[in-house]
Amino acid sequence: MTTPSRTLTRDEADAFGRELDALRTEVLADLGQRDVDHIRAVIKVANTCEATGRVLLHVGLGPITFAVGTTALTLAKILDNMEIGHNVMHGQYDWTGDPALAGHAYEWDNACDAGDWRHSHNYEHHTFTNILGKDRDVGYGFLRVNEAQAWRPSHLAQPLTALALAVNFQWGVATHDLRIDEAFAGKQSFAALRERARPFLRKAGWQLGKDYVFYPALALGNAPRVIAGNWLANLGRNLWTFAVIFCGHFPEGVQVYDRADTEHESRGEWYARQLNGSANIEGSRWLHVLTGHLSHQIEHHLFPDLPASRYPELAPKVRAICARYGQSYATGSFAKQLGSVAKRIATLALPSARRSVKRASAAVAPRPAVAPGPHRVGAMAA
Amino acid sequence: MTTPAMPTSAARTWRATATAVARGLFLDRQAEFWLGAVGSARSFRHVQARVIEVIAETPDVKTFVLAPNRRWPGHKAGQFATVEVELDGVRVRRCYSIASPPSARTLSITVKRVPGGRVSGWLHDHVKAGQVLRLGAPAGEFTLPDAPRPLLLLSGGSGITPVMSMLRELAATGAVDDVVFVHHARSATDVPFRGELARLAARHPGLRLILRLDDEGGGFDEAALAAAVPDRARRATFVCGPTGLMDRVAAMWAQDGLADRLHQERFVVPAPRAASGPAARVQLSLARAARTVPASTDGSLLEQLERAGERPASGCRIGICHTCTCRKTSGTVVNLITGVESSAPDQDIQLCISAARSDLELAL
Repeated sequence: MTTPSRTLTRDEADAFGRELDALRTEVLADLGQRDVDHIRAVIKVANTCEATGRVLLHVGLGPITFAVGTTALTLAKILDNMEIGHNVMHGQYDWTGDPALAGHAYEWDNACDAGDWRHSHNYEHHTFTNILGKDRDVGYGFLRVNEAQAWRPSHLAQPLTALALAVNFQWGVATHDLRIDEAFAGKQSFAALRERARPFLRKAGWQLGKDYVFYPALALGNAPRVIAGNWLANLGRNLWTFAVIFCGHFPEGVQVYDRADTEHESRGEWYARQLNGSANIEGSRWLHVLTGHLSHQIEHHLFPDLPASRYPELAPKVRAICARYGQSYATGSFAKQLGSVAKRIATLALPSARRSVKRASAAVAPRPAVAPGPHRVGAMAA
Repeated sequence: MTTPAMPTSAARTWRATATAVARGLFLDRQAEFWLGAVGSARSFRHVQARVIEVIAETPDVKTFVLAPNRRWPGHKAGQFATVEVELDGVRVRRCYSIASPPSARTLSITVKRVPGGRVSGWLHDHVKAGQVLRLGAPAGEFTLPDAPRPLLLLSGGSGITPVMSMLRELAATGAVDDVVFVHHARSATDVPFRGELARLAARHPGLRLILRLDDEGGGFDEAALAAAVPDRARRATFVCGPTGLMDRVAAMWAQDGLADRLHQERFVVPAPRAASGPAARVQLSLARAARTVPASTDGSLLEQLERAGERPASGCRIGICHTCTCRKTSGTVVNLITGVESSAPDQDIQLCISAARSDLELAL
């Protein structure tokens, strides 16, 4: 268990922020051909995989071509969603001026409408990361992933609901920005929900039509095979992205924050919150590419619009800065982080875990007259 | 019994839907990618052209003869095209006048190598026959009128390109009835299209060609021009060239009350205001809203716009979510985080972390 982050004064946080800003500026000045070459190489692999996968599913016979085709299609969807879609939609390649890499125009092979995603993810989640009540990604509104979240009886079933979310992850992500729960809680009218749901319905219809109607129809006799392959590819992508994303903010050692603490946050304090609210996964270059470099969740949250392939080289520098400011840097193997998330989902299903909240060790000093600091979880679990 | 023809509107809707589906499934991404990968100039999305020939016109002027793909909409004589090249991963666009007439099968752009110019230098040094260039749609109001006679085509330096397109179009359509073509250059070797101009003058009695060369003591001179073209008052005049020449021609025509007969092609760069010091007043032209709002160089553009009552899309306000990214068509901005100033035209900027350093034109 790593030591909790030290509380930074406003001046320290400013200095911390300046050092990170300097790192960011250094990378911005160095952006060039190799970044474009990287993302185009990934796009080439994704396009090749998609074409190969679909051809094998459509015209192939027997289990081997089915397995290879499905794997290729899964890989294509994972690359499209993670290293390409997620990163391009963050505007990481806007500086290139290439319309194929324009963040505001990219549409991905996922049930979530790209416009909805840019709002709920780029804006809400990245701006209000881990602020309870503002970052709707904390447990996605129905999972209790942190002691600071109030327990509800429905949390008893959360090991099962989490599994259901994993299997249907793209639909969870796609409906996230609709705020269906708010409509039932009376915070949003059903008319507003209908309006909000339009892009989702359009995109969902397109995705379902593509994978389960159009392509199967094109395959004639092979239609059942194509349906099965597409379903498995979507499932594989769902499970993978769920695992990666849950490892980013919910393992042991990640902090959540109160609204009040962050109201007058400085840029340096925003950086500190991003750092303390995220966790990395260690692994090979392939793992990083397949996670869209979300294995470098910390670097991604500090610099969401720098090309993600830069995160591995930024990581040692970020870590060194964190060490100097007494900030913990949450990282571990995929197995360790995933195990930690699974354990938390299981234990936090029970109300008793609520008592283990420790509210003292704030990584960001609260403003004067503003009450409690962020909730460090896991300190008690050490 | 006759079968009624399928209503055209239904047919059109069906076609549009089929096209949209084909685009979403295959054309926009896969097909576009593989066409690019094999070096084809065809595209389902963009205007592109294959370079057929590169002609060295003078020591520092080259003409690129292009075969555009089917997305090229065609141009009017006198217009320019945007050429897009990728330099160290960044797409950079420049406008170059089109030298070829609309009636020609190929398209040619003529580019002068600007000392220190990244794009013109790259085009001169790296573009060879067989390569594919990305283009933007043709644009420009400096075009040949429908009943274009009598005419005075007046140019200096590389400003010859658009008027050459006009002359070629007149020649191609047999309309060289009464044209005076006056060109200013440093020396005879600096005149692009010299041989062709001489041939055209020999073939068309209606064309009078006047070359004014610095090294033969014939630079621009108001009195000499007035003497050479005494009937200029009755001619529709098209002028393109260096700023100095343009200013003097414009003053001369204005003095004689002929300003409305003068058509000018200029590429104006807005002068940046003081970079630091007290806040300066600037104007923000919002192209889509067709409004101009006053603003200050102090503070982000997003704040300035909101203060002026505009409601541009925005999100985090700290430069991370890119919701407020907007196209700046002209002017200079400074990035408030990096302190970097940029004056490039047609650039996407983030309103929340950019401040104005000059008057700006935004695609809002």
